[in-house]
Amino acid sequence: MPPILEARDVARSYRMGGTTVEAVRGVSLAVEPGEFVALMGPSGSGKSTLLHLLGGLDRPTAGEVDLDGEVVSRLGDDAATKLRRSKTGFVFQFFNLVPILSVRENVALPFIIAGRDPNGRAESAAIEEVLAAVDLAGKERHRPDELSAGEQQRVALARALVHRPALLLADEPTGNLDYATGTEILDMLWRLCAERGQTVVLVTHDAKAAAYADRVLVLRDGAVLDEITLGRREDHAAGALIVRLAALGL
Amino acid sequence: MRAANALARRSLVARPLRTVLTVLGIALGTGVLVAGLVLNAGLDAAVERSARDLLGRADLRVNALEEQGLSVGSVGTIATTPGVAAAAPVLVRRTYPLPDPALPSASGPVTVSGVDPARDVAIHDRTLAAGRLLAVGDDLVALVSTRFADEDGLRVGSVLTLLGDPASGPLDLEVIGILAASPGDPDPAGRSVVVPLTVAGRLFATDRVSAVDVVVEPGVEPGTVIAELERRLDLEPYTISTPAGIVAALDAATIEIRVAIALVAAVALFGGAFLIFNTLSMTVAERVRDVGLLRAAGMTRRQVILMVLFSAIHLGTAGIALGVLAGVALSAGAVLILAGGAGVRLDELVVEPATLVLGAVLGFAVTAAAAVEPALRASGISPVAALGLRLDQGAVLRARLRWLLLVFAVVGIVGLALWPGAAAGRNGLLRPLAVFALLLGIALVTPFVAGPLARLVGLVAAPFLRVEERLTRGSLVRDRSRTALTVGSLAVALAVIVALGGVAGSARRATTAWLAEVVPGDLLLTSIRPVGSDEPVAAELAAVPGVVGVSPIGRFSVALEGSRADAAAVVGADLLAADRLQLAEGDRPTALAALDAGGAVIVPRSLADRSGLQTGSTLALLSGTGPVELRVVAIAERTIPGDGGEALLVGWRDAARLGVLGADAFAVRFDPAMEEAARPSVEETARSFALEPTSLGGAAGAIGASIDRRAALFAALAAVALVVAALGIVNTLTMNVLERIRELAVLRATGLTSAQVRRLVVLEAAILGIVGAILGVATGLLAGVALVGLGGGSGAVFEPPWAVAGLALGGGVVLAVLASIYPARLASRLEIVGSLGRD
Repeated sequence: MPPILEARDVARSYRMGGTTVEAVRGVSLAVEPGEFVALMGPSGSGKSTLLHLLGGLDRPTAGEVDLDGEVVSRLGDDAATKLRRSKTGFVFQFFNLVPILSVRENVALPFIIAGRDPNGRAESAAIEEVLAAVDLAGKERHRPDELSAGEQQRVALARALVHRPALLLADEPTGNLDYATGTEILDMLWRLCAERGQTVVLVTHDAKAAAYADRVLVLRDGAVLDEITLGRREDHAAGALIVRLAALGL
Repeated sequence: MRAANALARRSLVARPLRTVLTVLGIALGTGVLVAGLVLNAGLDAAVERSARDLLGRADLRVNALEEQGLSVGSVGTIATTPGVAAAAPVLVRRTYPLPDPALPSASGPVTVSGVDPARDVAIHDRTLAAGRLLAVGDDLVALVSTRFADEDGLRVGSVLTLLGDPASGPLDLEVIGILAASPGDPDPAGRSVVVPLTVAGRLFATDRVSAVDVVVEPGVEPGTVIAELERRLDLEPYTISTPAGIVAALDAATIEIRVAIALVAAVALFGGAFLIFNTLSMTVAERVRDVGLLRAAGMTRRQVILMVLFSAIHLGTAGIALGVLAGVALSAGAVLILAGGAGVRLDELVVEPATLVLGAVLGFAVTAAAAVEPALRASGISPVAALGLRLDQGAVLRARLRWLLLVFAVVGIVGLALWPGAAAGRNGLLRPLAVFALLLGIALVTPFVAGPLARLVGLVAAPFLRVEERLTRGSLVRDRSRTALTVGSLAVALAVIVALGGVAGSARRATTAWLAEVVPGDLLLTSIRPVGSDEPVAAELAAVPGVVGVSPIGRFSVALEGSRADAAAVVGADLLAADRLQLAEGDRPTALAALDAGGAVIVPRSLADRSGLQTGSTLALLSGTGPVELRVVAIAERTIPGDGGEALLVGWRDAARLGVLGADAFAVRFDPAMEEAARPSVEETARSFALEPTSLGGAAGAIGASIDRRAALFAALAAVALVVAALGIVNTLTMNVLERIRELAVLRATGLTSAQVRRLVVLEAAILGIVGAILGVATGLLAGVALVGLGGGSGAVFEPPWAVAGLALGGGVVLAVLASIYPARLASRLEIVGSLGRD
């Protein structure tokens, strides 16, 4: 089966005043369908920039990104937007819910934006299913500011999954949560991957979070420093990963 | 304090566009305020000047009430009354100069003033552009105004031939001087001639005078002389004017325009205040965390208040400086539009430093009032709350409503400061207060109705723009008070336009209906001198084939219960035949026949309501031959318009007893089948008698043109208020975009295209515009009803100005959409990745 996501010699540089900063330098990677991949690295290693390039939020200055058979990096703004709408789901560190919409409306946002009726039979079923999957059944009418931080992140997760995207991209989804709530979210991500075959790319600087992944790509200075294959495991133990990372000086 | 000031400056520099928009808004608001003040000062000066030019150094003027004027005996009595130092008689009549064959078209009428050169010099300072003044012993000489000289090519030494009384024939006069342009010219078109009194008497075949100007002896109270004159003068009816009385009368004539200017200025100022408030509010909202950190770092509440107030001072200083300049330019434009249409001749701009300072001070007062709430809100931010960033919407709404009341109170006080004093005396405050209450009402109600209305409007857009509508709806209710203020300022500006448009339209329609209802004919031929019944005018006009009737109309003044009242002489049978005059009381055929028989009067309803007159009452009118008693035979809904109201109608028999010399106009009735052919012949015959043909539509049109000119000025000023409101929309939408930049980034990340984001902001503006326009038009219609309904006595009935309302509705929406262009671009071009991480 071909990879669902592939990056070939992707680079991204920024001009800052008179100097050029190379945030991502010639990264190549491939993600198989149903795989859980973590991008790890210290602050400034380029992991979030790489995630934005993979998800079509940003365009590389060099190289190509291929998502589910389409070269995202060659698409114009509108086409990239429509590709994001149908094939990706994003979860951010700061939840980023729309405060004026209820939980159900926030979750239904991908349908609303795509012009689909969120009250249609298929859409309603999808919303209910995903809300149940993230344990939010019964809170559909709540506003984001009536929820705890963990619940808000679960709404964000449900919103990212409701339209069954080919790829779920999560940027430090536990960075703003306490340990217990963060673990809850990571468990949920792993279950989605294991039970629904959801492809997940997770950005984190936390080895315990990265230990949920099947494979960990370690970035430093915008390039892939190492690739650590953990395999699918129920226990998510981080010990082996931490040892490898320590060997890399991280 | 230095730190607060530096932070305030940096905060304004950091948002250059918003700062510029706000300064522009304050400038426009202040500009309209300053223009109002300058125009008011100009009107005051024009009133003073007109009174001074009319009376000169005279303390009193005794005016003849009857057309025939004051007799030689009366002039003698005035001159010999104790306390009178000098008495200068003046005869004022209108006539035509004999056309100069060299001129391309016939020359217009002129006003001739006959003065006694020996006494005139003691009272009037006449300034010459060329030649010399009148001297004792001058005979067939004339001074002419500059405009008349320019229009008719007259110079010192030219011969001017004036038409006079048919009995005396034309007179040739040598022009010995050109009078410098004077705002106090007695002729409405500035075409004046001053001749020796003896020459005027010969020209118009009379030894009587129109008025006598009186200088009171030093140390004597004018009131004492007035009492003595009232005791002694008994030959014919008269009125006595004092400079204060003339100023009051002229003030009354300019009251409508001053009231409208004050109203528009108040609205523009409110819009400007809203902009300041919104900008400072935005700055505070954006910088909640900064302010919290500053407070944590040791900044006191007082320093925070100072920081916000310094922002207001910087914005206010720039805006007010520009506004003062804009105000002077606006008032210069307004003077051009108004010219003679303000009740007095408003020829020049009176820009006094005190007026500009007052405008600036009032502008600062409103700026300060607008800054108070954001300053207090900023000072109330605690470091802990700043980190939470959660706003209590209820508290914000309450604070804004408090602010709204405060600003309305300040604007109300400013309005009262601007309010013309003469309006207060005659129930004049009732109308503006009613309108002010309506505008305040709409501003207070808006927070509660804007949301549901926006929802309703959004439902229309929902089938086409479902995503955008859903997100817009939420955005508009996110900060209800801000939405309400934005909608409110737009609604108030539109309401003023619709109300003034409605009032102007009603006045225009009332004039047309009025003339058509009371003039017994299809064509009106007006004369600048009374046409006697022995002259062949009516007979020759009636002889034109196709003419069914010619009805003479004489307009004059009568003394009724000690004050001047308008009256008109009419032929009752003609009114009956032409099916004119609607009666509220009395039998029409009987009443109109009684007018022709004599001893009867028909009273307009407005006067009957005021004075309690009813059918069967007796009116005693003063005349030179003693009191004339007339029985009220009917009350008419409306009668012929006079100078100060509707005229009493009398028959020609009684008119002669009241000193009426002849007809001022003839109403010509045509056979409908022959009107087209007969009209040119009638007009030609009329011109041979120096009569001016005017169709009823034309007469109404002339009055309507004057009304339209005023309405155009008000609309122009109100449009400035509308632009201020539009700037408010730009500010609000920009604020909405900036406040939810991360939210928009999430939407973009989730799949909303940049075109959808643009449409989202435009739709938001369109909904704001539609809601504002609906509320504005509805309020404007109510305000129009209040203005017309409380006007009283004019006979005007408010009819909704649908065309103006439609334009306001469309204009409001278009303006709102135009105002969304910048915020929409801002929103659609936001950089997703960068915005996702922003607080």
